[in-house]
Amino acid sequence: MSGLMIAAVDVRKTFGDVTALDGVSVAVPAGTVHGLLGHNGAGKTTLVNVLTTLFVPTAGSATVAGLDVVRDAAQVRRRIGVTGQFASVDEDLTGTQNLVLLGRLLGASRREASQRAAELLELFGLAEAADRPAQGYSGGMRRRLDLASGLVGRPDVVFLDEPTTGLDPESRLGMWDVVRTLVAGGTTVLLTTQYLDEADRLADTITVLSQGQVVAAGTAAELKSRVGRRTVSATLAAVNIGPALDTLRRAGLDPLQSGRTLTAPVESSRALAVVVRALDDAGIEADELGLHEPTLDDVYLTLTGARP
Amino acid sequence: MTTTATSPSTAATRVRPAGSGVLTQVEVLTGRALRRLRDPRLVALSLLQPLIMLALFSQVFRSIANSPGFPSGANYIDYLLPAILVTTGSQSAVWSGAGLATDLRNGALARFRTLPISMMSLLVARSLFDLLRNAIQLVALVLAALLFGYAPAGGVLGTALALLIGLSVGAGLSWVFIALASWVRNVELMQMLGFMVIFPLMFASSAFVPIAGLPPWMRVIATINPLSYAVDAARGWALADPALGATVSALLISAVLLVGAALVASRGVRRP
Repeated sequence: MSGLMIAAVDVRKTFGDVTALDGVSVAVPAGTVHGLLGHNGAGKTTLVNVLTTLFVPTAGSATVAGLDVVRDAAQVRRRIGVTGQFASVDEDLTGTQNLVLLGRLLGASRREASQRAAELLELFGLAEAADRPAQGYSGGMRRRLDLASGLVGRPDVVFLDEPTTGLDPESRLGMWDVVRTLVAGGTTVLLTTQYLDEADRLADTITVLSQGQVVAAGTAAELKSRVGRRTVSATLAAVNIGPALDTLRRAGLDPLQSGRTLTAPVESSRALAVVVRALDDAGIEADELGLHEPTLDDVYLTLTGARP
Repeated sequence: MTTTATSPSTAATRVRPAGSGVLTQVEVLTGRALRRLRDPRLVALSLLQPLIMLALFSQVFRSIANSPGFPSGANYIDYLLPAILVTTGSQSAVWSGAGLATDLRNGALARFRTLPISMMSLLVARSLFDLLRNAIQLVALVLAALLFGYAPAGGVLGTALALLIGLSVGAGLSWVFIALASWVRNVELMQMLGFMVIFPLMFASSAFVPIAGLPPWMRVIATINPLSYAVDAARGWALADPALGATVSALLISAVLLVGAALVASRGVRRP
């Protein structure tokens, strides 16, 4: 497993009757960013919980930094940093106290822990709020303190579970910068996100999860080529759906139906004109026509053939 | 956010060569819990609650001093205080449970789980915090009782022993509720469960009235109620009439509860 910092092989996790992960495999080389993409309930957080030793997988195996997440859980915990979906800062403590507490729990002396706390607060632009209780922090500040908390031990592998959900655009960009800085320093990052653009900007490789299964994996470019760079959608009266499907197929497109809306991947924006002309020639009137950049929905639509 | 500072992963020294020892973990985590005592409102209310109990019981049940089985020549307050020391100790166990349940819902604990630390350290820290708070409460109770005319035959030593028995009962029961909370993890449920367990234990015992004064069926319960042993033991020392058997039983039961519950808790708290 040389070179792989995260390797999950056929991981299953069930909770009673519910299957949260249904045979998921993920491989992340050292020093890269891997994006786990999926809607709520797709299994992203469950996979993160397995990889961070919180859940024992029902079947399959996983290693982090070459260590088995079940057998060597204690050692894995020495190598990882985790930022959860919900800011896990201690409200009663100040920013500094939060980080010093963690530093000391990780075995640093008081002095080392204070030093590290100051370093991280500076890095995350929290130096001014360092001595204020976290209670008074804004959502963005909390999230940054949470991320800083995950980095106290200088982990080799960092797990970020939806690090930018609920952040304003500026904080989001700041978070992206931090991730890039981490990776530049040799850290391996696994991040979960619901945003395709976030995975696109940050991740070297992406795994798309749906209902506990991997529906696609590869680089952003590879995924996009599978999804189609763009899609055209047409919303029509119910009686026109059948004829429109035929018309679009004759025009060389591969339309998919979802309710009264037809969606077809296209190569360029010129395809919109093709669709308009084809429908017009067939005498079909569309209620709504649109050209869309690929979204996570399109990934699902294309890769699973149905809306999730 | 500035990203020009040194990269987090390239610093020369690693923060955790070997991780922290269990003692450091307990020290740091107890320190975290103790911060709560800096809230004067919490301290004031923690002290007020047992004092209200003392004031209520010493006045409401005064006439019990004339009931059958009451030790002759003893003041009701002398009779009552050792019992209040024990019941206050047991009541604080409810707060151990509710407190831990709150803690386990807190995101900060979710992070602790991903750290290379023993989750038992967290429970030990919680129990040390509760023990200290309990000790402060019990000392305050004794001081307040002096105002109500507390002057037992057992003197300072007898009272101190009674207080220690109260503390050890509190520690044993605290762990029972810590064990429950590590599985249940619901604050409201823990509080309800706590009072449901503690109140019958308190009242169906020798705490407030002599067992001889209870209805027959309750007398049976009160006789086998482990809290009765602790009350009898504490009262014996305070009234200079040591009940060695009850003392040994009370301490033994507390110790067994503590160890058994700690084993259950250590399994429960590891669940995510």
